[in-house]
Amino acid sequence: MAEQDNFKCLRCGNEYSLPKPEKATMEERTCPKCRSNSVRKVG
Amino acid sequence: MMDAGRHPRIELMTLSEVEEVNGYIGNFKVKVRKKARYVDEKECTACGDCADVCPVTYPDEYQVGLGTRKAVYIPFAQAVPSSYVINPENCLGSNPIACGKCAERCEKKCIDFDIQDEIVELEVGAIIVATGMDTYDPTEMDEYGYTRFQNVVTSLEFERLICAGGPTEGHFVRPGDMNRPKRIGFVQCVGSRMENRGNPYCSNICCMNTIKDSLLLKEHYPDTEIFVFYIDLRAFGKGFEDLLKRSREAGVNYIRGLPGSVMEDPETENLIVDVENTTAGRLEQYNLDMLVLSVGLEPRGDGDPLRQALNLSKTSDGFLLEAHPKLRPVDASTPGVFLAGCVESPKDVKDSVTQASAAVARASHILTSDKLTVEAITATIDKEKCTACGACAKVCPYGAIRWEKKTPAEVIEAMCAGCGTCAAECKFDAINIKHFSDEALMAQTESAVAENASERIVAFACNWCSYAGGDGAGTSRLQYPPNARIIRTMCSGRVDERFVLRAFELGAPIVLVSGCHFADCHYIDANRATQRRVDKLWDKLEKLGIRPERLQLEWISAAEGQKFATVMREIEKMRQRVTAEEIEHTIKVLKEDRGKQESKRKAKAKV
Amino acid sequence: MSEDGLRIGVFVCDCGLNIANTVDTEAVRQYAEGLPDVVASVGNRYTCADPGQEEIKRYIRENDLNRVVVASCSPRLHEPTFRHCVEEAGLNKYLFEMANIREHCSWVHSEDHAGATQKAKDTVRMAVDRARHLKPQIEAEVPVTDAALVIGGGVAGIQAALDLADTGHHVYLVEKEPSIGGIMAQLDKTFPTMDCSI
Repeated sequence: MAEQDNFKCLRCGNEYSLPKPEKATMEERTCPKCRSNSVRKVG
Repeated sequence: MMDAGRHPRIELMTLSEVEEVNGYIGNFKVKVRKKARYVDEKECTACGDCADVCPVTYPDEYQVGLGTRKAVYIPFAQAVPSSYVINPENCLGSNPIACGKCAERCEKKCIDFDIQDEIVELEVGAIIVATGMDTYDPTEMDEYGYTRFQNVVTSLEFERLICAGGPTEGHFVRPGDMNRPKRIGFVQCVGSRMENRGNPYCSNICCMNTIKDSLLLKEHYPDTEIFVFYIDLRAFGKGFEDLLKRSREAGVNYIRGLPGSVMEDPETENLIVDVENTTAGRLEQYNLDMLVLSVGLEPRGDGDPLRQALNLSKTSDGFLLEAHPKLRPVDASTPGVFLAGCVESPKDVKDSVTQASAAVARASHILTSDKLTVEAITATIDKEKCTACGACAKVCPYGAIRWEKKTPAEVIEAMCAGCGTCAAECKFDAINIKHFSDEALMAQTESAVAENASERIVAFACNWCSYAGGDGAGTSRLQYPPNARIIRTMCSGRVDERFVLRAFELGAPIVLVSGCHFADCHYIDANRATQRRVDKLWDKLEKLGIRPERLQLEWISAAEGQKFATVMREIEKMRQRVTAEEIEHTIKVLKEDRGKQESKRKAKAKV
Repeated sequence: MSEDGLRIGVFVCDCGLNIANTVDTEAVRQYAEGLPDVVASVGNRYTCADPGQEEIKRYIRENDLNRVVVASCSPRLHEPTFRHCVEEAGLNKYLFEMANIREHCSWVHSEDHAGATQKAKDTVRMAVDRARHLKPQIEAEVPVTDAALVIGGGVAGIQAALDLADTGHHVYLVEKEPSIGGIMAQLDKTFPTMDCSI
C-alpha cells in the first residue's frame, strides 16, 4: 500500500488519511467532512 | 472583423495563446505561443487549390460538425486573416514524402511544413480579457434525445443550418433526411436554471435567440409551424418585447412547460414530444419534424490556466469576478486587467460591445498616463538587525530579496509586491513593511482584545480574498455573530506568529488566520508560507499545553461570502466552548514563554 | 513607537440608513471622541459625498489633523476616495485609515443593534490605534507601456481592439483559433436588429 499522510481537522475533529503525494508540493487541505481548512498534518 | 484585421495599430496574432504573464499594471510582460500555421498567412490568397488536393476529410468545427473540411482549410469564408491553415493532427504527414500534395500544388509556395511554434514576448500596459464562453453540451440531458435522434439539434447547430454560409448554403433542412422541417419545436433553458445538471443561472440570451430564430423561420418559410416550450420568457432588453410581440403575431406558439420526454417515431424520424402545458393545465403531445435545444452558455472549460496566469478570481458560477459588481464592473481583481464579453457573464452582442468599449475607456485611462504611481507597500530591511540568514529570500515569491551569505539581505523595491511574507518569516525583527508595519498591526491586534477579550475572536483577513469575501457577506446581508474583530493584511503571509501569540496572551479565545485559496493567491504562492507558519504555531501551542484548535485557518475567496459567514458562525460556537480557566492558563504560559524568548534574544544580542 | 503630537480626526458615517439603522453612530462618535489623541470626532450622513469630504478637509486645515480615520464602508470600496480627499487637504494619503462598519458590521449584524454598535466602537478603536503608527509614504513612479493586449478575438475582443486602436494605442489581439470572429461568426443573424453577424 502506498504511504499515507494523516490529517486531523481542528474544526470537527475528523481524522483521515490520504496517499502521500508523489511530489513534495504543498496542497490545499480541506476536511472531507466539514470542508474546513483548519486541517493539521499529524503523526 | 475586417477592420480589426487591417487596422495599422492592431497586430493580429491568431492560433496564439497566452502562456505567462509577469509584471504589474502599466508594465506587463506577456509570453504568447504562436502556433505554427504551416501556411504563410501574408502570402496566402485563399485560392483554395491546396484544399482541392488534400486527400483527408474531417468534421468542420465552424459548421459544428454538420459539414466537412480538409486538413488544410480556411475556417470560414470571411475568416480574418484570410488564410488557409493546416491542422497538424489531421494532416497525413508533415513529411512531404507521406503526402505533401498541398505544398506541391500551391503556386505561391505558401505552405511550409517546417514552420515551428514561436514564443513571442510582448510588453503591454493593460490587458483586456475577452475569451468568451462555451455553449452547454446537452448530451447529458438524455431525455431530450440529443445525439440519439438526428433531428434534435442545438441552437448553435440551427444557426448553421439556416445560414446562407452554412453547410446547406441556407437551404434549411433537417439533418435526418435533408428535407425541410415544417413543424419545429424549441426547448428553452437547456442547461440553464437547473440545479442538478447544467447550470443554475439564467444564460441571458437564449429566450431572445429563440424569438429571433422563430422570426427568421417565419420570414423565410411562412408555412412553418413553431412551438416554443419555456419556463419564463425573458425579453427584458431594449426592443426585445417588440420582437416577442412580432413573433407571437407571426403565429409562433408559446407553450409554458418543458418537455418531459422526447421519443422518435422510427418511421418518420419525427419527434414525439410530451409536455405539461402549465397555462392550460393539461398534458399535450406534439409531433414535430425537428426539435431545437436552446442551449445555455457556460464558462470556458479551458479558461483556468489563463485565469491563474492573470491572478483573477471567479464567481461561484465560474465566470470571472469583477472588482466591484456595481462600481467597477469591467475591472478585474488584478489592477490593469479588464473584462469584456461573456467571460464575465453570459450576454448578448450589444452588451458585449458595450462592455468592451467600457473596458477600453478604463484601459485607455492607464495607457494615456505617462507615469503611474505604485502603492508604497513594500518591504524594508534593517541592516543592523539582519543576521544574513536568508530565510526572507527563501520565502519571497518574487525573488525580490537579494541575499548572499554573510551580507545583510536587500530588497529590490521595483520587484517587491508588498505581501509581507518576509517580514513575518524574519525571526530577528529586521524586516518591516511600509504601511503594514509590525507596530501598526501589533497595535491593532492588541486593540482587538482590549475590552472583553474573552468574547472576542481575532480574525486576520487578506485584502484580496478573505476580507473581500467578508465584504461579499455584507453585500448579500448574510448574518453572523458580531464577535470577531477583523484585521486586514495585504496577504495572509503577512501574519506574524507574534501577532497570533500576542492575541492569545491578551486573552483571545479564538484566532482566525484567513487568506486566498492556493490557486487564487495574489502573491503567487505566499499563502503556502501561511500554511507552514500555522502548522508551526499548532505544534507550538500544543507543546505549551494550549489546544491547537483555538487557532483556525480558512481559505476564503472573494466570491465566498457564504463561506465567510459560515466560518464566522462556526468559530463563534467554538469560542463559546473555550473556558475562562483555559484562557487564564494560556495567558500565563504565553507570558512565561515570551519572557524566556526575550531573555534568549537579549543574550544572543550580547554575543 | 508612535509619535508625539498626534492629532487624529475620526469621521463616523451613517451611510444614510445603511449603517445608522443598525449601529448607533452617535454613540460610536462619542466613544471615538474619548479615545487618546483624538481631537475631533464628527458624524456625517454620507462621508463619501462632497459635503462629507469637504468637512474632512476643513477639519484637517482648522484642527491641524495629522491622522484621519473614516468609519464607513469597506476600504476596498472607498479607501482611494478618502486617500485622495486627505491628500487634497495637504495630508499624506498613507496617514488615512478606514474602519469598516458597514460590510463587516451593520449589514451582517442587522438583528443585533447592541452587538453591532459594540463592534463598530471596537473597530474604530482598532483603526485609531493603528493610525497612530502610520507614517507618510512616498509612492514610486513607474513608466507605462503604451500598448494593450486583448485576449480573445470574439465580438468583445474585436470591439475592444478597434476602440483601443482608434484611440491611438498599439494593440495585440491574441486569438486561439485560426481566425478571429468567435461564436459570433457562427451566428446567422443577431437580435435585436436581425442583421448579419459578420
